[in-house]
Amino acid sequence: MILLDRVTKTYGKSTKPALSRISLHVKPKEFVILVGTSGAGKSTLLKLLTREEKPTSGKIVVGGIDYDSLKDKHIPLLRRKIGVVFQDFKLLPQRTVYENIAFALEIAGMTNREIKNTVPKVIELVGLAGKEKSFPHQLSGGERQRVAIARAVVRQPKILIADEPTGNLDPKHSWDIVRLLEKINHYGTTVLLTTHNVEIVNKLQRRVVTLDHGKITSDQAQGSYRQGKGAA
Amino acid sequence: MARKLDAKSFAQKKRGRRRWLTFIRMCRYGVNNFSRNAWLTIAATAVMTITLLIVFITLASRSTLVNSIDEIRDKVDMSVYLITDVEDSSVYVIEDGLRNLESVTKVDYVSPEQARENFAKENSSDPTTLNALNEAVNKFPGTLRIKLVDINDTTELEEFVKNDPTVQENIDKNREPSFAGERRAAIQNIGKTVDFADKVGLGASVVFITISSLIVFNTIRMAIFNRKDEIEMMKLIGADKSFIRGPFIVEAVVYGFIAALIATGLGFAALYSTKGKLLDYGIAVSPTIDFVITYIGFVLLGMILLGAIIGVVSSLLATRRYLKI
Repeated sequence: MILLDRVTKTYGKSTKPALSRISLHVKPKEFVILVGTSGAGKSTLLKLLTREEKPTSGKIVVGGIDYDSLKDKHIPLLRRKIGVVFQDFKLLPQRTVYENIAFALEIAGMTNREIKNTVPKVIELVGLAGKEKSFPHQLSGGERQRVAIARAVVRQPKILIADEPTGNLDPKHSWDIVRLLEKINHYGTTVLLTTHNVEIVNKLQRRVVTLDHGKITSDQAQGSYRQGKGAA
Repeated sequence: MARKLDAKSFAQKKRGRRRWLTFIRMCRYGVNNFSRNAWLTIAATAVMTITLLIVFITLASRSTLVNSIDEIRDKVDMSVYLITDVEDSSVYVIEDGLRNLESVTKVDYVSPEQARENFAKENSSDPTTLNALNEAVNKFPGTLRIKLVDINDTTELEEFVKNDPTVQENIDKNREPSFAGERRAAIQNIGKTVDFADKVGLGASVVFITISSLIVFNTIRMAIFNRKDEIEMMKLIGADKSFIRGPFIVEAVVYGFIAALIATGLGFAALYSTKGKLLDYGIAVSPTIDFVITYIGFVLLGMILLGAIIGVVSSLLATRRYLKI
């Protein structure tokens, strides 16, 4: 599903690469947690996957699409196949919950009828029934993140990238979001989650990839990862 | 084959429907953005209104200036004086010769008799002058009043007066034509002043319109800068450039439309309310007001189009930098 082969990324004239010869293979329906300290290269890795950045060298293939042969005009189509959730939610502030989620379908050219059928189901899935007409500023952090997740999964992407989705949330809401991601993974979506939260990493018992100074320092299979508090 | 064609036309129809749907959605988002960003909307519409008002007033002022200048030009004519006992046949020959000159637009002739009558009328309240006029022999010259295309260009006329034998035979040697001698300097001064006013007016129009367009551009740029995160997010979830740009363009068109209505109303009211005072100063404002009243539909359409164009161009330029992949 996701394949990175000896990928290096160096920004500008910097001599130190943000990522150095990273190789990673994520299988379909897998739930992978990416951990690492600030500056380890997690965000760069996600930016490469969403094609916000181009690698300096190496090969990236996501969902069968080889990024080497991807033209700029096809990047929006690629992004429609990948769901992305951000730490700061990135919702449209002037649009309601319903409109924020529907937006993801509208840009894909879906009909109004399809949108009317799909959006309420996803709102129900993320537990926001009754909040359809609320604007983002009227919601709690946890609710905003649910909207962001609903928007990311409404097009039923094969891959969901969640970049620190619990970073701005309290423990209770963090767990709600993690459970929601597990549920989405259970329905067959590959999930790539980055987090600093050791408790979540330990409790989830999933495959954990550790990045440090732009390199993968460990790749531990499901259930074998154990890390003390504050170490991740 | 027929089936293949059907599939092709079905796909084409579907694409067409999708494009139409996308267009409708962009319009809806544009109008929503306009109505949901109250302060930004008020600020952008106000700036656009001021810009269009400046444009309206600048164009109206320029039109008034041009009309006033034309009036002044019309009042300035060149005079060639003929001897008192000039024969009518000679006058006809000279008139024809003058009318054939490219630099001449109109020729009028005031005969010595007419000149005497005019003088008598002008001095009807002065019995001494009238008595003297009745007793004296008519010494008024025949006067050819000539209007030129350009009052600064008298070369052709001068050549004609100098070289035409009929003119030379009948010209009043005691009175120089108005384009010669001391009068020449006066006419040239009028001509230069009028030309200068015309150029300054044009320059001021260009400067005002440019500055006000830049102000609108900057306001729209700031409004879009304010929403750069939104644009970033749209890009990341797969919106293509036209879908992101579309609502901003629609929004700018709405600003332009509303601003054009307000600016045209305010501009016309300003023009109409100052009409009396401007006329007192001899400024020819009536043709401009008449033009606006007669062609109000076109004026309004022009203002709306101008507002929309300024808005659209500003939006396109301002969003461009945020739309790089």
